[in-house]
Amino acid sequence: MTTERSDFRTCPVTGFQVHLAAQKLIITNAVTAVIFLLIGGILALLIALTRWQVVHLLPADLYYRFVTAHGTDMLVFWIVFFEVAGLYFGGAVMLNARLVRPGLAWFAYGLMIIGAVMVNVVMFAGGADVMFTAYVPLKAHPAFYLGVILFAVGALLAVCLFLVNIVVAKSEGRYSGSVPLVTYGLIAAAVIALFTLISGAIAFIPAFLWSLGIIPYYDPEAYRIFFWGFGHPAQQVNLAATVAIWYALATLTTGAKPLNEKLSRVAFLLYILFINIAAMHHLLVDPGLSTVNRIVNTSYFMYLAVLGSLIHAYSIPAGVEVAQRAKGYTRGLFQWLTKAPWKEPGFAALAVSLLIFGFIGGTSGVIQGTLQLNMIAHNTLRIPGHFHATVVGGTTLAFMGLSYYLLPLMTCRQLVGRKWASLQPYIFGTGIALLSLGMMWAGIAGVPRRTWDITGSGSALGAPAYQGVDFSLAVMGIGAVIAVIGGAIFVAIAVSTLLLGKKTISVQRSRI
Amino acid sequence: MNNKRSKFHAPGTLVLVFIFLLVFVTLYLANWVLLTQIWSVR
Repeated sequence: MTTERSDFRTCPVTGFQVHLAAQKLIITNAVTAVIFLLIGGILALLIALTRWQVVHLLPADLYYRFVTAHGTDMLVFWIVFFEVAGLYFGGAVMLNARLVRPGLAWFAYGLMIIGAVMVNVVMFAGGADVMFTAYVPLKAHPAFYLGVILFAVGALLAVCLFLVNIVVAKSEGRYSGSVPLVTYGLIAAAVIALFTLISGAIAFIPAFLWSLGIIPYYDPEAYRIFFWGFGHPAQQVNLAATVAIWYALATLTTGAKPLNEKLSRVAFLLYILFINIAAMHHLLVDPGLSTVNRIVNTSYFMYLAVLGSLIHAYSIPAGVEVAQRAKGYTRGLFQWLTKAPWKEPGFAALAVSLLIFGFIGGTSGVIQGTLQLNMIAHNTLRIPGHFHATVVGGTTLAFMGLSYYLLPLMTCRQLVGRKWASLQPYIFGTGIALLSLGMMWAGIAGVPRRTWDITGSGSALGAPAYQGVDFSLAVMGIGAVIAVIGGAIFVAIAVSTLLLGKKTISVQRSRI
Repeated sequence: MNNKRSKFHAPGTLVLVFIFLLVFVTLYLANWVLLTQIWSVR
């Protein structure tokens, strides 16, 4: 039992006891995330307009620099800062608990922001044109690796604080029984994050020493194994967090409850047990791994993780259907769906992100992760087509949807531009769907990923013929423009709410 | 039993699930066909 006296306020909408120290940290981490989303979004537009061969905007050096920065800012900084905000929300606010050791949480934030700024400065200065993966023997400036390590240590500290918070909240009697399902999903994400960040440290600390010249040689295969122990599981952290947020959005917008909460918890457990092992699919064309290893990891273990996703994919819409039918929308098979709150930004974000994640990202992920099929997809534009559908169409859109509730709740301000917020998920989702499908279509024709130029200009070997890619790359480019517009609307709403939103309540302090 | 049935009554979602499975199976098979066309067995 704590002897510390902490300041709380009561949220008039949700009834949550909001710890003010947690509130400040949630707002700070979420705002920082949005800043990196803005940077990454601008870079996304420039990159897409370069890959759109007819436009081909950037010169080669800037293209590779910006791809590195786009990948890092979007896949790591935007998402992890937001996830940390989510962890503090799920670990403190949702449990009506205090945040233990806010000072340590600020220290974690400090490490993360110093690391993120260091990495960005080095990348934009041209000291780390090594792409997001930074594959050895490509060598970046030591400050790049140091920045990543500082960020990872900060994130690790934040994750540990969240887990401690759950235990302390229980011991202080802030909740009884098991934690709510959303918090349980965030715990799953945190457990995966522990493995992920440790694996990242094993990959990046030797890379840092190697860049300083302290270690003369760093085996590329060893780096790749440890990097992908970090790189893909980081996306599984996103997946677990995204699913947790989907449950939250379904409850917030329709009053849905999971059909079988125990089964949903088992599905999260499947992520923890199997999803990291399935990350081996990044190494399917690498030497040194046995066929048995490849098939067991990328088939059977991956299928068990996918089983978890299938459980959630049924449980969430079924929960919505049951809730809608309970309201009287019982006509036919789909009245519950047609009468759903489609103008509610949270529901729109839930439906669109679930659709893109499942139909585009999920199907392509299983197909591309199958050993034999991977041979026709590996290193083509099909791969980014897949992960833009999952990480952007799924995770980012779900995070945006949650923000429309999190921001007013945490800042005590009314959401600015509610009509635009209702439209934003559709605009963003349409853009991402077009972007992903255009990429996949071009990838099927053989267009490689990451490459600045596909015409072979300046090459003695000439260019391979990619049939009909002008159209598919145009679909990709147009999709990117629409998605960036959708992203800009989200940033404008978030910033306007933060700075100009009408105050809803005065913060009432209470001592507990 | 009846209570349980009404509690878990979600036929629309079941239809959506089967649409998803159909899409997945079609795409999965199409990829295997694509693979056979690239590396044909003679």
